[in-house]
Amino acid sequence: MEGYLIAIFISILIYLLLAGGLALQYGFTGLVNFGHVGFFAIGSYTSALLALKGVPIPISLAAATALAALSAYPLGMIALRLGGDYLAIVTLGFSEAVRMMLQTEEWLTRGMHGLPGIPRLFAGWVEPQKTDLLILILLVVVCVGVFFLIHHIIKSPFGRVIEAIRDNEVAVRALGKNPAQFKTRSLMLGAGIAGLAGGLQAHYLTFISPEQYVPLITFYIWIALVLGGVGSLRGVVMGTVLLVGFLEGSRFIRDVIGGVSEVQMASLRIWVIGVALICVILYRPQGLFGSSPKRSR
Amino acid sequence: MDWLSVANAAINGIVIGMLLALPALAITLVFGIARFPNAATGDYMTLGAYTTVASQAFLGGSVVTSVFGAMSVTALVSLFFYFWVFRALAERSQVARLIASIGVAFAVRSTITFFAGQDQHVVDVPLVRAWNFGGIRLLPTDLYILTTALTALVIVFCIMHLTPTGRRMRAIADNAELAAASGIRSKRVMIFLWSLTGAFCGLGGALLGIKAVVVPELGWELLMPMFAGVILGGIGSPVGAVLGIVTFSIAQEVASLFAGPPYKIVFAFVILLCVLLLRPQGMFGRPMAAR
Repeated sequence: MEGYLIAIFISILIYLLLAGGLALQYGFTGLVNFGHVGFFAIGSYTSALLALKGVPIPISLAAATALAALSAYPLGMIALRLGGDYLAIVTLGFSEAVRMMLQTEEWLTRGMHGLPGIPRLFAGWVEPQKTDLLILILLVVVCVGVFFLIHHIIKSPFGRVIEAIRDNEVAVRALGKNPAQFKTRSLMLGAGIAGLAGGLQAHYLTFISPEQYVPLITFYIWIALVLGGVGSLRGVVMGTVLLVGFLEGSRFIRDVIGGVSEVQMASLRIWVIGVALICVILYRPQGLFGSSPKRSR
Repeated sequence: MDWLSVANAAINGIVIGMLLALPALAITLVFGIARFPNAATGDYMTLGAYTTVASQAFLGGSVVTSVFGAMSVTALVSLFFYFWVFRALAERSQVARLIASIGVAFAVRSTITFFAGQDQHVVDVPLVRAWNFGGIRLLPTDLYILTTALTALVIVFCIMHLTPTGRRMRAIADNAELAAASGIRSKRVMIFLWSLTGAFCGLGGALLGIKAVVVPELGWELLMPMFAGVILGGIGSPVGAVLGIVTFSIAQEVASLFAGPPYKIVFAFVILLCVLLLRPQGMFGRPMAAR
């Protein structure tokens, strides 16, 4: 029971990191990133492959963060000059292209077989049962750090510019700031956070495969964000807790009602996510915990 | 690589391109008139393919009646989501409609997998031998698919250019405020737009189901190639959508001779980036940045 609770909390914290990155991009800058899982995947595979080659985990995690952030740079440069929804299409294509590469380039990633035996965080420090607790503590520290950083960024001059871009891009341009440059930086920051989350997950699970990085994960994060309320960090946390609660809780529903196969349950779970996305956008655009919409949209 | 396999790949590309021109046209019309990239397009196609399989299995009709049945079902589903979701979001931001369309995509696909499972299905068509012209192979089925797609496209272009509804449609696509100011009421145009979207995606999906196998990811995985084709042609331009997706499909089929089929999505992504970098307005369109 204790082990299960720790696993759930670790899951919440990893989703929370992902949601934090997306909150910076969409909630505070207005960037529609539909390829968040692509940066997450890059982080996982970078850190895992480096650690398997014998690189110490802290360095491999730093490399994962950096590479995920760097991969966002060309996307931002190309799509953000144009505005509109090009970024959504480009990032979605990016995450699918990344997944296809991971599946195909077997010499590097072992393709669909996945990467087993990734070094675990804190392995050998304490007895194996206790490492989960240490990982949980590390994740809490990382999450607090990242959210503190995001909070700090939002309150900084850079944060005021990105919020101004979200609210009125023309005015920002008139003040002599280049919105595309600020947006690209925000995109890279969010991608870096997703990469770090990916690295941490790889060193927790010790096994990764391309199937873990489907676009559905991106939209899990989106539903957490819009459910909690876009543009508030408190909403992000609440939305993520609700999401993981639902994903975990739906496992038990099957035991209770019975007569539903595993495949049907998976379909039902995706159906609820889809319909929830529609309903929140339609009936509660400010989210469950947002007070008043910041934007008059 | 000898020229015969390149020619065969190009022919295959033309067939796939003409077939995908139907949903691509739906994407570009929805973008021009309802003003958002509709991410549910692919899953409407999947619905069309599965409805064809289901109506063959349970009602036992011929392929043609099953395909017509599938088109009506997807048209109704598309209208349902217009009346429930997209009509209410008409005054909201483009992003709101885009996110909602992702929700619609998931809802449609998961409903299909709930009843049909994850296994693959096939549309039951009589097996025929390919005609062989000195090494260039042509399947009679492909010819039927090509003719059907071409007929449907001709009908829609006639409607758009010869009927009052079509003229109103083009007026709204051109300048929505001006159209409203001239007294054009958008309701009938919207109903026509969404029935057409549904029917064309359904037809595209059914034809693809006849050509290949029917799997739950059928439409979703085509979303990227279709967007790439539409943007290549110039988003918002109907002629551009057709020419863009056909050009793109030929290039993709020929390229996959060299790089292998798994790279199709990567290829679509690279083409998309190149077009956005070099000529964001595509072959026939206006760039979105102008808005």
